[in-house]
Amino acid sequence: MPKYAMVIDLQRCVGCGACSIACRNENNVPDGIYWSNKITETSGTFPNVRFHYLPTLCNHCSDAPCVTGCPTKAMYKLDNGITMHDPKKCIGCRYCQYNCPYEVIYFNWQEPHKFWRDPKPVIEGGTSSPKEMAQKVNNGNATPYSNPDRAKTLPENRPKGVVEKCTFCDHRLKAGEIPFCVEACPADARVFGDLDKPDSRVNWLLGKYKPYRLKERLGTEPNVYYIRSFNPAHYQRTKGGI
Amino acid sequence: MEMKHKKSEGILNDFLNDFQMSRRSFMKRASAATGGAIALGTSFKPTLRALAEASETGSAAAGEWKAATCQGCTSWCSKQVYVVGGRAVKVRGNPNSKVNGEASCPRVHLALQQVYDPDRIKTPMKRTNPKKGRNEDPKFVPISWDEALGTIADKIMELRNNNETHKYMLMRGRYSYMRDVLYDRMTKIIGSPNNISHSAICAEAEKFGPYYTEAYWGYRQYDVTRARYILLWGADPLAANRQVSYYSAVWGDAIDSATIAIAEPRLSATAAKADEWLPLKPGTDGALAVAIAHVLLTEGLWYKDFVGDFFDGDNRFVAGQYLDETLFEEKHTNGIVKWWNLELKDKTPEWAAKITDLPAEQIKRVAVGYGRAAPHAISWLGGGPCMQARGAYASMAVHALNGIVGAVDNVGGTQQSNKEYTTKFPEPDDFMDEIAKAGKKHKKIDHRGRLEFPALNKKPGGGVVTNNAAEGILNADPNEIKVAIGYMNNFAFSCPQPERWERALAKIPFLVHITTNASEFSWFADILLPDTHHMFEKWGYVKAIGNGYRHVTLMQPIIEPVGDYKIDETEIPWLIAEKLNERGFGNLLDHFKAYKDPETGKSPTNEKEFALYALKYATQNLWDPAKYQGGDKFNGWEDFLKAGVWNSDPYPYRKKWSNMKTKTKKFEFYSETLKDVLEKHAEKHNTTVDNVLEVCNYLARGEMAFVPHYEEPLIAGDAKEYPFIHVDYKSRLNREGRSANCTWYHDFKDLDPGDVPWQDVAKINPADAKPLGIQNGDKVKLTSPTGSLTCTASLWEGVRPGTIAKCYGQGHWAYGRVASKVFGKVPRGGSSNDLIPAQYDRLSGSTAFYATTRIKIEKV
Repeated sequence: MPKYAMVIDLQRCVGCGACSIACRNENNVPDGIYWSNKITETSGTFPNVRFHYLPTLCNHCSDAPCVTGCPTKAMYKLDNGITMHDPKKCIGCRYCQYNCPYEVIYFNWQEPHKFWRDPKPVIEGGTSSPKEMAQKVNNGNATPYSNPDRAKTLPENRPKGVVEKCTFCDHRLKAGEIPFCVEACPADARVFGDLDKPDSRVNWLLGKYKPYRLKERLGTEPNVYYIRSFNPAHYQRTKGGI
Repeated sequence: MEMKHKKSEGILNDFLNDFQMSRRSFMKRASAATGGAIALGTSFKPTLRALAEASETGSAAAGEWKAATCQGCTSWCSKQVYVVGGRAVKVRGNPNSKVNGEASCPRVHLALQQVYDPDRIKTPMKRTNPKKGRNEDPKFVPISWDEALGTIADKIMELRNNNETHKYMLMRGRYSYMRDVLYDRMTKIIGSPNNISHSAICAEAEKFGPYYTEAYWGYRQYDVTRARYILLWGADPLAANRQVSYYSAVWGDAIDSATIAIAEPRLSATAAKADEWLPLKPGTDGALAVAIAHVLLTEGLWYKDFVGDFFDGDNRFVAGQYLDETLFEEKHTNGIVKWWNLELKDKTPEWAAKITDLPAEQIKRVAVGYGRAAPHAISWLGGGPCMQARGAYASMAVHALNGIVGAVDNVGGTQQSNKEYTTKFPEPDDFMDEIAKAGKKHKKIDHRGRLEFPALNKKPGGGVVTNNAAEGILNADPNEIKVAIGYMNNFAFSCPQPERWERALAKIPFLVHITTNASEFSWFADILLPDTHHMFEKWGYVKAIGNGYRHVTLMQPIIEPVGDYKIDETEIPWLIAEKLNERGFGNLLDHFKAYKDPETGKSPTNEKEFALYALKYATQNLWDPAKYQGGDKFNGWEDFLKAGVWNSDPYPYRKKWSNMKTKTKKFEFYSETLKDVLEKHAEKHNTTVDNVLEVCNYLARGEMAFVPHYEEPLIAGDAKEYPFIHVDYKSRLNREGRSANCTWYHDFKDLDPGDVPWQDVAKINPADAKPLGIQNGDKVKLTSPTGSLTCTASLWEGVRPGTIAKCYGQGHWAYGRVASKVFGKVPRGGSSNDLIPAQYDRLSGSTAFYATTRIKIEKV
């Protein structure tokens, strides 16, 4: 069985967010929910100031607190290491959100894509309304650009009252394709692979560089690893001084 | 996490309002549903039912990846769109392109929200409120294409019948290379000189430097993977233009092999990953550039194989010392010693440090590092240093550094565009009757070529002065404009001091806007025509350079259009031509019939055929094996369509050395080429070059006019009343100002370092904010001598103290329900252009956006 993991090369990452927007598209994620996200930090004081960007997503922890704490087993592990969610079992209690130390699980507080149910046009007779556009293009199914491929393993659009999060594009993996964020990254900063394959690119990178994971001390055993630095800048050598 | 944003509190309230059940009903439902699913509230569907409905919406139908082109910025990448049942679902880079390959910047995905934007115009409309103004609702009503086109044709015929064709104007915005059909041919055959492009509000000043040094009026490509030093000036290739997809793809590697330094008043996306950030005072790039040039020479770091050397090999460039030109044997350049004598000899790092407010030691370090990397040392000229009132010479100075280090046309340096083989459309001359010829003789409405607007695009008056067309219209100078068509432009938003355009457009008796959305410009129109979306619904092509190649990438209609859209550049002109023909003027239609299908030899018989044949005609040398000239080879048209893109041959390095189109054939530090056109312009107006410069607000006199030098910036506003210099720039997710109606634009706004989702922020350094009592999230008003805007304050260390940085892109009061706060009435955020005065770099005709004005900030 594969054991899927992702290695994110921060040096290649340019902080563009294509991963997060592409993911939003691929998985029909509602506004306000970020299956793929980021942690940014501005450190220092002008002019010695830097901006750092860290892409984040569900870590698909080997010892996932969201799974352990789910009262209905709606949150569960697939054999390939993916932390998966079954909305049919979800009671919307949000314990998973509370237990996850990474804030990567989101709750659908409302019916998703509310924007597309608005029946008002801005110019009567001259423009559509969101409702009309969604109806004409996609039979009223959530958004006009809704990706049907997502429906292979999850509802194409999750309903109000259940949580959702990154699934490592399990629906794409089924079709032999890498997750869409990995494909969409222009910098090839995201590398996906199987830790159980000794010669996989992820294993190779994890050996070549000292990787780190988020909040390792908590023992969740994340499967998203980070290598190198977002800003490997040169500086003029110095011994400092007193 | 979604709880961070204020708007989530509203969502929580919504949810809790649905939670209308008693404890008893809670228990009842819990036991009823096995597996523990609980239904909450009467308006909340039981989870099982909701899921059942969700999965009823159909299984995954097979989709197909179709070739397309993105014009979200002018990187003009080649793309592929995943189309399922006539519906665009997702996008990726086109692996067939050697320029961008599979790489895609983030904003391409927003095109999906653009093409299915509910606020798109779906049918032609006409204005029913005769009054025009910012606060006048046009009261548009839908009309048929027939009525719309008939009315337009009537108005054009009226001009023809009164010999007033010069009062017709065409305003061009976002174009493809089908543009000459509407922009050039139709305007000429009707008989007007007034085809006005938007180029001057893009980055024409960025072409001025490369032209008056190496005779290249165009954007450059940069060989970053083979460079050893990359010095960027007001350019942010990881966020904004140009060829963002390619540079994002390779930047992680470039960082390994090159030192990266960036001159930019704010901490940009590219600066965040740079080795050196040079946060100079806005408007002082010229000073920094000439100081670096000074160091390159005094340290002996110029590239001898390109520039040449002193006859005896002894470096005589010493600070402050005038030199005898005959001591130096120049190779592929012209005027290095002259330039030293005129400008560089006193421009030390210490001198520049006082002006730029950068440490002299940093200036020297960057200069030496840059020089040591020669010839693989790029000086990357962006819009920042040159789209300023006195930006032309900064443009030359920044680009001239490439000449000093031999990076010009070289490996690891800066390149021009590769050869491509598209053809121009048939000439209009045979179809211009006497009325047209007479009309065309009039002077243009933008005043290019006048004493005060040299607009030296290769020749006096050669370039457009877009923003000044508003003055021409307002003053009926040289004449009034009676009939105007604008396409995919929005000058009442995208030009500085846009209220002038509001007044100008209100004056035009008959205005047509071809557009996807009813924008600020549309508000003054008499007729709106629904345009296709370039990426999914149009036939066309554009060209772009990067990675040592040039690609010609196709636009094709690949989805089922929802509205009754027609293509701006081809279908609409054909349909107007048909109407003109019905009214007795057949020249335009006859001209269009010359655009024959190269495969069948047939003339087009309708607008759809015309749109397709025009594209096949222009690109024939690329797809027709019988006409092959170079680059990719195709079996024919269908083969080309499938690939979606043609790639040129690889870049031929160093072929231009001593073979440039400059007056001396060399790379000019002392520009004989600029001297020639300035003298021509002065002669035309019976005056001197010195007078031209004075009229154009430049400080240089005498020989200084022909060399790159530092000009003190022209910044409006008194420093006491307006303590901060305004820093304007493009948001990462801008699709040329057209993405503000996409929810994803706002949801991901903090991809701009220092910005905040769903806010329009002005970024201020905390040290500046504290004494003013301004805190994060405060509502603030920015005021300049020109105008004001309201937005939110964001305290951020990445802002140079004494400046306030704000993205361009928000502040729409029309365009759509998301872009505006109240459509047609209240803007969401504030538009930078309201602060910026209508100023120009008159030598290039460009509009000034940067280092133009001081502002003040107040809490409201």
